[in-house]
Order: sequence, then C-alpha cells, then structure tokens
Amino acid sequence: MESLLRLEKICKSFPGVVANDHVDLEILPGEIHALLGENGAGKTTLMNCVYGVYRPDSGTIYWKGQPVEIHQARDAIALGIGMVHQHFMLVPPLTVAENIILGLPSPREPLLDLKSASQQIRELAERYGLPIEPDVPVWQLPVGVQQRVEILKALYRQAELLILDEPTAVLTPGEVEELFKVLRAFKEKGLSIIFISHKLEEVMSISDRITVMRAGKVVDTLPASRTNPHELARMMVGREVFLQIEKPPCTPGEVVLELENVRARSDRDLPALKGVSFQVRAGEILGIAGVDGNGQTELAEVIAGLRRVTDGRIRVLGRDITHCTPKEIIDMGVAFVPPDRQHMGLLMDFTVSENLIGKSFDRPPFSKYGFLQKQAIENFCAGAIYRCDIRTPHAHVPVKLLSGGNQQKVVLARELSLQPRLLIAAQPTRGLDVGATEYIHRQMVEARSAGTAILLISTELDEVLSLSDRIAVMYEGEIMGIVPAEEADLQQIGLWMAGSRAHQAAETPQTV
Amino acid sequence: MLSTQEVTNRWQIVYRRFLERSFNILIPLGAILAAFLISSTLIIARGANPLTAYAALFAGAFGSTNALANTITRMVPIIMTGLAVTYGYRSGFFNIGAEGQLFMGAMATTWMGITLVGWPAWLLIPASLLAGALAGSLWALIPGYLKARRGFNEVLTTLLLNYITIQLFEFLIRVDHVVGPGATFLSWIGLKDPSQPFPKSAYIAEAARMPSLTSVITWLGGTTEDPALQRFTLAAVIAVLAAVVMYILLFKTTTGYRARAVGVNPRAAQYMGINVMRTTITTALISGALAGMAGSLEIMGFQHRVIQNFLVGAGYDGIPVALIGQLNPLGVLLSALFFGALRAGANRMQIVSGAPVSIIYVIQSLAILFAIAGTVIDLRPRRLKQAEIEEAKRVEAELAAESPSAPAADMLGEEVRHV
Repeated sequence: MESLLRLEKICKSFPGVVANDHVDLEILPGEIHALLGENGAGKTTLMNCVYGVYRPDSGTIYWKGQPVEIHQARDAIALGIGMVHQHFMLVPPLTVAENIILGLPSPREPLLDLKSASQQIRELAERYGLPIEPDVPVWQLPVGVQQRVEILKALYRQAELLILDEPTAVLTPGEVEELFKVLRAFKEKGLSIIFISHKLEEVMSISDRITVMRAGKVVDTLPASRTNPHELARMMVGREVFLQIEKPPCTPGEVVLELENVRARSDRDLPALKGVSFQVRAGEILGIAGVDGNGQTELAEVIAGLRRVTDGRIRVLGRDITHCTPKEIIDMGVAFVPPDRQHMGLLMDFTVSENLIGKSFDRPPFSKYGFLQKQAIENFCAGAIYRCDIRTPHAHVPVKLLSGGNQQKVVLARELSLQPRLLIAAQPTRGLDVGATEYIHRQMVEARSAGTAILLISTELDEVLSLSDRIAVMYEGEIMGIVPAEEADLQQIGLWMAGSRAHQAAETPQTV
Repeated sequence: MLSTQEVTNRWQIVYRRFLERSFNILIPLGAILAAFLISSTLIIARGANPLTAYAALFAGAFGSTNALANTITRMVPIIMTGLAVTYGYRSGFFNIGAEGQLFMGAMATTWMGITLVGWPAWLLIPASLLAGALAGSLWALIPGYLKARRGFNEVLTTLLLNYITIQLFEFLIRVDHVVGPGATFLSWIGLKDPSQPFPKSAYIAEAARMPSLTSVITWLGGTTEDPALQRFTLAAVIAVLAAVVMYILLFKTTTGYRARAVGVNPRAAQYMGINVMRTTITTALISGALAGMAGSLEIMGFQHRVIQNFLVGAGYDGIPVALIGQLNPLGVLLSALFFGALRAGANRMQIVSGAPVSIIYVIQSLAILFAIAGTVIDLRPRRLKQAEIEEAKRVEAELAAESPSAPAADMLGEEVRHV
C-alpha cells in the first residue's frame, strides 16, 4: 500500500540540542500510528516539522509519494494535514463555529456566513459522531469538548491526516474513552492519525503501529499486535550508559519531610495529587521520576505552601505545615529550587544581588529597622558570587542578562544560603549545559552530606537515577512505587512511568 | 595591595555602573530635547521664531520671582501625584485614581481648616496634612482591597472612583458648612461658605496655611515688598522631601523591596515568601496618601479654599510625570519641573512670540512618546547583550524540546495573518 506521509532522514537541531536526528517515519492511509517517547525525545518537534511550524535542517517529506515543501502551517493544511496541539489554539470568547472558520475565506466575502458554516459543522459532527453545538462560546465548554472543536477544525479543513499531540493529557478517563471511540470511527472512514503519547497502555489499546523515539532518534517501528508494554518500556528508557556521580554512602537521619495522603488540584481544577504519601530523611536524596505533567509541579508547590492542599497532611520536622504560608515554610528551613526559574525562581528585572537576598532580605543582618543594610548585602553577595562561581560583570547586573546556568546558580546559592533542613529541587538542571549541570549536582550532593534532606523532582531519568538514594515514580498524581536506588530495575521504572503497575508482584511499593 | 588587574577591573565596574545609571537620566533629557526640537517646526510653520518662543517660555518660567513662584505652584501637586503613580506602578498597582484621591485630600484638608478654627498652627498644619493623606489613602483602599482580595482590575476601579469623587465634591461645595447649634450631619460635612451664594468654601484658618517666605522674613524682623514671595511656601519643601523619602522607601527599605518584587513578578514574589495581598493593600494606601497630600498642599499652600474646578487634571498629569521621570521618585522631581515650567511660561511665550499656548501640549506629548520609546534603546556593553541573545536562543531550544506552546503560538499568528 502506498504511504500517505513519509519522512526521510529528517534532522532538526536547536542551539545545543539535536531534537531530531535522521528520523524516518511512514504513515499508511487509514492507520492509527502512535509516536511514543519520553519528554524531549523529539516527538513534538518532528510533528512541528510536518505541520510547518519548523523547517527541518535536512531531510525530505513525501506526501502521497510526492516530495513536498512545507513552509508554514497553511501549506500543511492545504495538503490535508491537521494538528491538534496539546495547548488548544482556540479563541475563548468566540463561538464554536467562529473558531472553526477562523482564518478561512468566507463564501460571501467580505461578509461572514455563519449560518451555512454552522449547518456544515453540524453535518460534519454528525458524520463523525462528534456531537457539538456550533453557537456556544468556546469558554463555556469543558476541556474534552474543546478538544472536539479542535478536531472538527481540522476535519472542516478536509484533513486526511490528523496529528494529536498528547491528546489524553487533559482528559478525564471517561473523555479518553469517548475520544478513542471517535478515533476508531475516523479510521473506519479512511483517515490516518498520528497519536503522540507516553502512556503505554493507551498506545497499546488504540494504535495499529507504534514508533518509539528516544533522544531524537527512532528506536523502532512495530505493529501493536507484535509487541508488549515491557518491550516498549525498555525501548523508551533503555540506556547504555548514564552519568555517574561520586557520592559518599547514604546515612539517613531523622524524618524531615513527611507527606500523608496528600491531595491537591491543578490550575485547571482537575485532581493533580491523588493521595501522595512518602518520607524524606535527613542526609538522603529522594528522587521523583516521571513524565512531565503527572503532578510533579503541584507536589513541589504544595510542600512550599504555594498551592492549597485539599486533603491529607504535610509535616516538616514533625510540625504540621499543611496550611502554613510560604513565608512560614521558608522560616521552617524549607528551600525550594522551582522548576521555572524565569517566572518563579528569579525576579528577572532585579539585580543579581537583589535576587540573592530574595528570601532573607527582611532578616538581620540584611535588614535593620526595615532598612536594607547595603554593606552587609554587598559582602554577602560578593561571597556568594565568588563561592558559587556565578559569572557576572558585577552584583548589580539585572539577573535576566546572565546565562541560564548562571541564573540557576543564583537560585541555588540563595536557597543553600538559607542553610535549609529540606531542599526541594524541581528540574534543577533543565536547559543547562553539562558544566552547569555538574556543578548543580555537586552542590546537591554536598548539601546531602551536610545532613540536608533533599527531594529531587526531575523528568530527566538519568538525573534521578544517578543522584538519588531512593527513587519514586509519579504517574497521574500518584506514587507508583518507591525503590532504593541500588535495587532499581530500569524496566520496572519504565513501566511505572508509563502508568503500568503490572510487573513482579514481589516488588510491592515500599512506603518508607 | 591590589594588583593592577584588580584595580582595572574595579574601575571598569565603576565606569559601567556609571554608564548604566546615567542612561536613566539621559533618556528623559534626550526626550525633552527632541520634543523641543520637533515642536519648533510647528512654531516656524506659524511664522514665529522658535528661539524667541523658547526664550520667552524660559523667562516666563524662571525669569522673575513671580515666574518662579508660578512654576513652583504648578509643580507641587504634580510632584505628589507623580510620586503616587510611580509608587503604585512600581508595585503593580496602576493607580489612575490619583485625581479622585487628590480631591478627597483637598476636601478633608479644607474641612479641617474651616472647622477647627481655634487650633494653633503647630497642631493644625500637621493635622490638616494628615487628614488629607488619610482621606486619599482610605479612598485608594477600596480599589486596593478589591484587587488584592477579589482580583478586580485596579485601572477600572480607580478610574470609576474618580467620577464618584468629582460628583461628591460638586455636591459638598453646594452644602452650607454649619457647625454648632442647628447643625445636621450633612451641614457638618458640607463645605460651602454659607455667607456666599457661590459654590466655594470659606478660606481656611490662617493657622492652617503653609508658612511662606514672606512670613519667615517678617519673623526674622525684615520686610519685603515682593508679593510673589508669599507663594514660596513650605508646601514646595514638603513635596521635595516627599520625593526623597519615596526614593529611600522604594530602594532602601524592605517595604520598597516587597513592593517592587510584587510589581515585577507577583508569582516569584509569593514564592520568595512575600505576602502579595498585604503588599498590594499597603501600596494602595501609600499611593493614595501621596495623591491625597497633593490636594492638601494645594489648599494649604496656595489656594486656601476649594472652588469648583480648583485643580482639575493634576491627578491624571501624575501619569506622564511618572513616565518621563522613569518611574523614579527623583526623576519625578525633574519631570514635574519640566511640566510646571511649561505651563508657567506658556502665556508669556504666546504674548512675546505669537506661538500659541497649545504648543506646550505638543511638547509635552512628544516628550512622553520619546521617553517611552527611549526605554527600548539599549546602550549596554555588547558582551551583556550577547549573553541575552544567547539566553533567548537557549530558552527557545528548551521550549522546543519540552513544550509545544511556543511554536503553537507562532502558528496561531500565522493563521490570523491570513484571515
């Protein structure tokens, strides 16, 4: 059978990152093809190349056997490619119909023809089994229905290939079932679907063929009927080497952080933490692995007092901090390197020195009777800049002018200067080069030796594996299991990350 | 001993910091200069000589004690409202309501001056000023509370409160002010002078007026014939002091640190342990107090009573004053001087050169435009700019690898462009 879409040796790199490395991919007419891989495996970049958001550095795209050049989204749409992004591209105050015809020429230019558009949308919705009310403003619709609007948008433009980027990430289990029914109906009608996901079970249940990507490369393409979750998990995370970090043996002390059945909701008001329990002791690093968006950010925010806990208890050194303010929690000795240094960890328009005192500016010796003490601040900052090797012309440069690595050093220097009992490090090396990463890791190991309890939250599995004393995996707001690092089994962790508990019954999740 | 290298480094640092700082002053000065230059083409088009016009403008603003008194009189309220806007803006509270807060302050101060007639000056002057500040800050507390607790947009609430204030003012200066026997609550808070048919208050007590240079000279045993000296009052000194105090508050205290942190990024501020709600409310109170004091100083220093339209627009003028002043309290002093001088000298310019008074509004508007445009110019050392560019690239790569939202936004732009 002739392929609908064929990619040949697609390469795309960004400064410092090779996102796609000679990727070959073939999509047949009327198949559901899953793209499976961890964060940063290059799935979304590849699809953005197909959709014209990026131009590949090299390689060829064939559409129905013909080589094509796709310069922008409009070209892709003209060919018959539709993409539903993870973050919807809808205009909330406009109605469903208005959103769907947005960008298309009207049959009655310069006037709109909403009536006939609504009619067409109704017919289309009926034909594909996607019930929708075209005259309702989009903001009133639940997320699952908004996704339906996005799909209809692509169908209305006569898409033959539908790319869905992590479509189930925002859906409830019921909505996922609905979506799968619709996708199967599409397949019956001859449409092809590319389904980007990292969830093994979903991929197994919906796809005809599965392509696994890792670190920008295609590992393999297999029919779903001839593989199993274990094999896929191994292909997803399988590694030959991972970086080793020298660290002294772990000598855990008293329990510093204790979570008991903690629940919280996400910004979208969906359950983000569904009864999380674990402990972290002084002098140990507990690493939390997992694919991005499984509740890790919410977990860190809940401990730092930045997100409301709906149920359960959080204790630091035995004291209940469940409903304490961020300030009270900082004063308890909890330091937090947030996942997003640009929007949370740093005041980008403030200077390096103002950021370094960001959490202690109102304590002596930096403040006396409410006045900032210039000399004490200067001395402290000069010391911190020297000790942490922060590369900056001087302490009074706005921190936004520093490189990402140096910005992160500012965050870490500030957090460690608080001499914390607990350090929450969320994505501490995201986007950093090797040198800065190594520095951050060394600092964390040193803090651990000094008796700090460390909660490391990272989507970089290598980082979790090489730093942690114990490893936990989070999936959809739950801890799938916790194992000591030396007993960690890659395949088991891969399965947990992809949401599958089915493995050796012997390795039941331990609680401490 | 420091090595030569270290000494050079140290000097480089001092030099760089000097460049960065002086740049903050250069933007408004350059903007004002450019505004004058471009406006001169309009003056030429009117057949007048721009040099004559600007000389007359300068003379009208600074050429005599009378001219200087005019300039200072115009400066004082806009210094205060400029400070109110600056402090609010710096901490993310965009106070469009300085106009209303100013009128509240003026009403409260006037009420003190016409009611507590027997009080001695040492008590009545601070009490009247305090009443004005309090009235302004309580008025700003309404939008401050609504923003902090309920997320109301302060631009709307402060703006709408202005209309309410003006109506309240129009009402109260038509209600006879009666105290003592026969007074009702309404007549107690009314401001109109009962002995006059016009909507204006009585003059405030002598003891409530700001001492002037004339009274100082008299007190020292001298005499003076120049009536302009009566308009050099303590109000101007207080306004300049307020700017210095606000500079210290904003940049040298923990309160200012909190306010600026919330203004730059409330999420990061909250993460650092700052109580964002409390900071927003504190900011509203401080900003409102400054605007209220603008009204007080105008009444106590210059007009000594309220009349209809007694100072319309000074609250709104605080916004351009703050912007040209680069949102720096000391910059506000300079830009208020510019605004005050323009207005004080405008009439003389028209009489002498024939260039119309409205030219000053052209100059003023152009200066605002250039001041805003100037903040985009980047004169920092090339190495720093390079670092910024590289960081931008890195962030782009990071986003590309981890989240589809950035390219998706591009794509939306793409589609919208083809509508």
